[in-house]
Amino acid sequence: MRHLLRAEADRLRWRRAVVLLVLGGVLLTAFTFAVTAWNTRPVSQAELDAVFSERYAASELAECQAHPRRYLSGAVIDDSTVDGTTSDGAGSDTLVEQRCRDLLSSWYGLRPTLDPQNSLENGVAGVSAVLVLLLLLVGTTFAGHDWSTGSMSNQLLYEPRRARVWGAKALVVTAAAMAVCAVLLGALWGGLLGLAALRDITVAPGVPGDGWAQVARTTLLAGLAALLGFALTMLFRSTVATIAVLFALALTSGGLFLTLGIFGTSGRWEPATNVAALVVGEADYYDESVLAPECFRPNGGLRWKRAGCDPYRTVGAVQGGLYVGTGVALVCVGSVLVHRRRDV
Amino acid sequence: MGGLCHAPPVSETLTDGTAGGAAPTGEPVIETRGLRKVYRGRKGTHVAVDGLDLRVPAGGVHGFLGPNGSGKTTTIRMLLGLARPTAGSMRLFGEEVPARLPAVIGRVGAVVESPKFSPNLTGRQNLRLLARSVGVPDERVERAVATVGLTGREKERYKGYSLGMKQRLAIAATLLKDPALLILDEPTNGLDPAGIREVRDTITGLGEQGVTVLLSSHILAEVQQVCTSATIVGRGRLLASGRVDDLLGAATRHRVTVAGDLGAAADVLTRAGLAATPEPPAHGHQGQGHQGHGAGPALLVEGDDPAAITRALGEAGLWLTSLVPLKRDLEQLFLEVTAGQGPGMTMPADWSGAGEVS
Repeated sequence: MRHLLRAEADRLRWRRAVVLLVLGGVLLTAFTFAVTAWNTRPVSQAELDAVFSERYAASELAECQAHPRRYLSGAVIDDSTVDGTTSDGAGSDTLVEQRCRDLLSSWYGLRPTLDPQNSLENGVAGVSAVLVLLLLLVGTTFAGHDWSTGSMSNQLLYEPRRARVWGAKALVVTAAAMAVCAVLLGALWGGLLGLAALRDITVAPGVPGDGWAQVARTTLLAGLAALLGFALTMLFRSTVATIAVLFALALTSGGLFLTLGIFGTSGRWEPATNVAALVVGEADYYDESVLAPECFRPNGGLRWKRAGCDPYRTVGAVQGGLYVGTGVALVCVGSVLVHRRRDV
Repeated sequence: MGGLCHAPPVSETLTDGTAGGAAPTGEPVIETRGLRKVYRGRKGTHVAVDGLDLRVPAGGVHGFLGPNGSGKTTTIRMLLGLARPTAGSMRLFGEEVPARLPAVIGRVGAVVESPKFSPNLTGRQNLRLLARSVGVPDERVERAVATVGLTGREKERYKGYSLGMKQRLAIAATLLKDPALLILDEPTNGLDPAGIREVRDTITGLGEQGVTVLLSSHILAEVQQVCTSATIVGRGRLLASGRVDDLLGAATRHRVTVAGDLGAAADVLTRAGLAATPEPPAHGHQGQGHQGHGAGPALLVEGDDPAAITRALGEAGLWLTSLVPLKRDLEQLFLEVTAGQGPGMTMPADWSGAGEVS
């Protein structure tokens, strides 16, 4: 098995499409970091003075610091434990002031300050989504090339134990995808945190840890995506067929599940909900079916404010991971069984 | 006919040393019994291989002949575990396959249909991938490249190779494992005459080195030039099998030239019960049995007894200037058996294959 793994690792790194896809991921990550760094480069004191020397801007800054709820989003205020009218503690004061200055600076045409949490929810999440997609393609093209060139039959003339060949390829492509994702996302998130530290920007407690956890979960998803792409392509023996099936599923899966009523009408089983839960940590879905009859008004409306009548439920990262993992495992089992029996 | 089969007896286990034929030895290298493969599709079923009994003895180059669609490639793919048989049993080196294929695959090199490698990798990279997958050291890659004459070109991308180079690379791949059995399926497909000669020389050389070669082809001249024995299949069934010399049998016609009147010689031979006809003008260029005799008017005399010819002419005072036995070539035999016109020839007793042409 050691020899086979080594050969498959060579095959993967010598595959030009794989190199290009990974290179695309590297460029995307570097570009995102560069754009974030450039767009949040520190505003000079002269620029700030110019803005806040305006009487209206200065009074608005003071108003924001005194009443942050009127200006800032809930997350920022929660982080700084503001009670709604005043802030409590030096650190929180600093954060609120920073956010108020940031907000008003942007209102008045200046650049925002680097905000790692905002980057985590937007830039890093966006890069994560594209990376996972690229690594899914890595898994697909890795297997598809063997079939399109016919070299799979050549390989089986050296190692006829097909399950072993399947396993070695799957292991290599999964491990490689996870390694690439971990390195790139780790570099991006670590770079953003480092940049924030370099610019003396205060990061809310818990944000770095949340970010690293998201990187870890996305790495797991990337491995599963590459494995899914590989397994499907080994099943269909065609990269194009795999991409077509995945595309069709992405377009129709939610509606398909609901239409067929496989798991009732709950959004709990929609793939997108569970993937989002795995990456972000949790995801909400809408499900009226779990509500008691007294939650519904006679005219059909919902009594939203009544206790226990909120139709939104949350899927956690573990639940999402189990869902995605089970789906990928089922595809893998089918793929191995077909690969073992079908003529090459 | 001695020139037809260039590969001499190669195995140390050979029981006879007669030129032009490797004798079958105890355990066949390849053996199938009642092998059957049925493809089922929307348009119905297609029987690709229909109860094939195949035996390939150790040593020499064994031709595996049949028209397109006769089941040659399917049989090879089943032997190599690439396709599953519908029924029947198969053995390689005495081991049941596909169950025991992993135990013997290290001794088998094979090219099935066209060479199949990654086009963007170099020849060397393609070979290294295969070598590393089974723990063969990289040094053997260089040796295999040298054996097939690709040294200097192995650093080029596979997609830039000529067809001949691709075939040679495929043969190099089979040599990585140092095989005792080489299975080559249409190895000269698409090659120009020079390429065919290169591949043929490589196969002959491997046969001389003691490798048993199963050469599948429908190019009969190619097989006749390199093989020691052959099996002919048609519609998935065995039609004939044995050593090539035995398959082609004894000469049944002779080409005769005489010093004197050719018409008189024809009369004499006819009176002696030997059908003699003037040789058609183009006939002298057909068949390998004609090689070496002189040009000019000649008679074609039916019969397998050269003594009767010389006696009849001698008694009539007509002197022979040449007497050349003419054998069937493989193409004639092939056309006969695949058209269901086989003469029902009996295989030699020590041949443990099909027994006779069916």
